[in-house]
Amino acid sequence: MHNSSARSRIQGMVALVTAFSRVAEPESQSIARALRRRDSEFIGRIVSQYHYRLLRYLVYFTSRRELAEDLVQETWLRVLERAGQYDPRLRFEPWLFSIARNLAIDHLRKHQAATHRTYREEEAGVDLPAPDFESPFLAAARSEDAKRIGAALGALEPIYREALLLRFQEELSLAEIAQVARAPISTVSSRIHRGLSMLEAALGGGDHAA
Amino acid sequence: MPLEDHEKARFLLHRALVEGISLDDRRWLDAHVSECAECARYADLSARAVRALDCFALEFDPSAALRVENMVRSRAQEMRSAESHARSHLVGTGVAIFLTFTGSAVAWRAVAWLASQWNLPSRAWQIAFAAFWLLPSLVLALLPLLRTRLLGEDSHSRGQAI
Repeated sequence: MHNSSARSRIQGMVALVTAFSRVAEPESQSIARALRRRDSEFIGRIVSQYHYRLLRYLVYFTSRRELAEDLVQETWLRVLERAGQYDPRLRFEPWLFSIARNLAIDHLRKHQAATHRTYREEEAGVDLPAPDFESPFLAAARSEDAKRIGAALGALEPIYREALLLRFQEELSLAEIAQVARAPISTVSSRIHRGLSMLEAALGGGDHAA
Repeated sequence: MPLEDHEKARFLLHRALVEGISLDDRRWLDAHVSECAECARYADLSARAVRALDCFALEFDPSAALRVENMVRSRAQEMRSAESHARSHLVGTGVAIFLTFTGSAVAWRAVAWLASQWNLPSRAWQIAFAAFWLLPSLVLALLPLLRTRLLGEDSHSRGQAI
């Protein structure tokens, strides 16, 4: 009787320690383990958790909603294929966004090769598309300022939009943005400054017009 | 107020948003902005630009999200089962190789003992042993190749007939 109560107490403590270690485990490590073990339940939760942010990043980068939706799916498949390459000591978001970015660039390069269109991406030497006429940013704007900013974002080069999104909405550090964009930190910093100046000019111009 | 002060203020305003500034710079900036209307307007503009970025909400389609989630889940399951099969094949191959070597050694000793009992010439039993031991494996290894070749020729001739 005494033995069984002691055993159940020990089992309870073990369960408590296990549960605590799971809670205390950094999210990046849980994600890395789930990806390596192909834990479909956990992976489903990650997909659901990051879906909107990944879609938003791809819309900012490609300025095409439909293309971004296609690329979201491709990105997750690539994440599964490259699960072993994820370093759990680093945050998951920069790795996820860098995969999405590479896929988007590959897609846009193929598209440009097919249509013989050429655009220039500053410094990185990667060709990117001009924004759509039907700007997804204007459609997504929820305030007057956002509408002005939306018009400015549509005219902005993708590398500036990307830098602004990653810094101010995703709240990544400059080093993490540099990891995603595969650019030096100084370049990333200057992209954010320049993008911000353009947005301020759009807002300032709007104020004067009003 | 010197022009450099305004330039410095604008530089620090951006820097504060992008990467942060020191406490001394923050104090200087706050003092400057409180005295300079133009830089205060600029600070307000910067803050509004960043706030406006938060006012973008893409339309969210839950069914599309669910479709992607299900597709990724099923792909993960497929990969898991494929990897599990690959692991079993690897283990099976390892066991087969181990048994081949240990089995060969045991059989060799047994046949050598029998040959010595029956006074068989060593060259003869060794050749017989090698043939008995290796021929089935060779045939089994060659069969898929022959089959592919035969089937390939067969399908090629069928293709021509069509």
